[in-house]
Amino acid sequence: MSGDVALRADAVTRRFGHFTAVSDVSIEVGHGEVVGLLGANGAGKTTLMRMLLGLLPVSDGAVTMLGGPPNRERRRRVGYVPQNLGLYRDLTLAENLDFVAETYGTAVPSLPDDLLPYAKVLVGSMPLGAQRQAAFVAALSHGPELVLLDEPTSGVDALARARLWDTIRAQSDEGVGVLVTTHYMQEAQQCDRLLLMSHGELVAQGSEADVVGDTRALSVRTDDWSATFAALNAAGVPVILDGRAVRVADTDPARVREILAAAGIDGAIEPVAATIEERMLVLARA
Amino acid sequence: MIVKEFRELLRDRRTLGLLVGLPLILLVIFGYAANFYVDHVSAAVVGPQAAQVAASLPDFFEVETVDADATEADARDLLRDDEVDVAVVTTGGGTPTALIDGSNLFAAQSILGAVNATAGKIEPEVLYNPDLTTAWVMVPAIIGLILTFIGTIVTSIGLVREREAGTLEQLAVMPIKPGTVILGKIAPYFLLAAIDMAVVTVLGMLLFDVPFNGNVLVFALGAAIFLFAVLGIGVFISTISQTAGQAIQSAFFVLLPQILLSGMIFPLDAMAAGVRWIGYILPLTYFTKISQGVMLRGAGIDSLWPSFVVLTVMAVVIFTAATLRFRRDLAPERKARA
Repeated sequence: MSGDVALRADAVTRRFGHFTAVSDVSIEVGHGEVVGLLGANGAGKTTLMRMLLGLLPVSDGAVTMLGGPPNRERRRRVGYVPQNLGLYRDLTLAENLDFVAETYGTAVPSLPDDLLPYAKVLVGSMPLGAQRQAAFVAALSHGPELVLLDEPTSGVDALARARLWDTIRAQSDEGVGVLVTTHYMQEAQQCDRLLLMSHGELVAQGSEADVVGDTRALSVRTDDWSATFAALNAAGVPVILDGRAVRVADTDPARVREILAAAGIDGAIEPVAATIEERMLVLARA
Repeated sequence: MIVKEFRELLRDRRTLGLLVGLPLILLVIFGYAANFYVDHVSAAVVGPQAAQVAASLPDFFEVETVDADATEADARDLLRDDEVDVAVVTTGGGTPTALIDGSNLFAAQSILGAVNATAGKIEPEVLYNPDLTTAWVMVPAIIGLILTFIGTIVTSIGLVREREAGTLEQLAVMPIKPGTVILGKIAPYFLLAAIDMAVVTVLGMLLFDVPFNGNVLVFALGAAIFLFAVLGIGVFISTISQTAGQAIQSAFFVLLPQILLSGMIFPLDAMAAGVRWIGYILPLTYFTKISQGVMLRGAGIDSLWPSFVVLTVMAVVIFTAATLRFRRDLAPERKARA
């Protein structure tokens, strides 16, 4: 085990009765590293994250957080932003930050300029982007060595998302290990390393190319993208929209031509580099 | 739409329980428990002619004590300590006096009827509630009901909201001990319930002239123990509820029997034995005994101790079980049980 590892899971499994939510997953997050945890809904990302934090006991395997098993003392050195933010909606932003500071025994963090107008506003009344930014401020206020973010930018606009990623990057530059789950492929590209989960298993890890692996993709351009999408989808082909073009994953070009011909659609088919999204689509349908 | 609604209903066990279970519960309760008529009362007969008078009493009086050497003061002690519902005091040659416990309203009304039926052979005297005012009996019980309401419904909603908002998970990550979280969550409700109790007690005394004949500290001690029991129920409900709606539904199942079977409305003595036992496992039953005993009869801990003991055992068991369950959300086990 490397001394630079902030968080490590060794073959962790979590079963709920007969259902296995996470199966034999091993991961590492180094200090100063931003690791993206990807996967479709139900892939087991949140369950894994809760096990990593010690909020959910593992059925098998072991978790090492900041040098030992996750416990209250080690969690003190961790920042966590859950999916639903973990802020008190009936308290003002300032009152939320007071509570966090008092709990951690730290000074009340100063607010970034764009959050200053919300200091005395109830968190529940703040725009979602501001709420997410506030959750970051709260989670980072005690100077954590490891940060876990569960869908931290979900539902916010592009500008707010870019701002939050600036914050994540600034943390990693200071040596903080970051594990972040996301649905946004543009965000995945900002991570140092990616982990891809599917059906509770870790199916790929590494760079974007490593995660995409040998997934193949085709771009299909026709005069009627809607009919094209409908025909391919009806035929059970993994298909996504890309502007007015249709992309097909892991399917033989001859098979695509055959489907289009049967539907009476003419079009151009060309091989393109597959994306993480297409890899996820193929895995989800497996 | 109708089919969809039925499907949803069939999968929502709590609502289904409310729809199917509640009518059955109400039927059983009102069939067997809803009875204001007390058909027997416990009695003591004291004084020189105790034996003769006891022998002449109708079966309605279940004579438990016949003591020729006991005095009227002893008889009053028996009533204050809730040992009997009525104590007949005999003298050398005069008319015996039936001292009636007015804090047991329906029993007192029945006794008064029975005594009046003797056509002057026994003189009635109602103690603690001379005019048999309903409010005097209800106010001490209502205090318990308010504490139950705050302890179960308000507390469980407050805790479930924390779960719904995801802040419970955030608290689990923070360096704050589960015991501190539980204390921090419960203390405000405890304080608010205590303030409510004081306000209702004082208002009851001012508006309805309800007396407070006993020791305030004894009353406060009983209320504090009772509050722990009902707060424990509230915490427990929060651990089995994911939403505020579910918490309210569950709390309703707890509140309803407390209102109907604790003796607050229908006298326990008048209930069928098949449902009366339910009353004896409800915390409100014992708090009502304490509050009515202290406020109306001026009873002390020396006579109320059985209710204190039962209530304390209930509070310890319920509160401990509930907080241990709640604690699991904040400090999970190291190894899953699955």
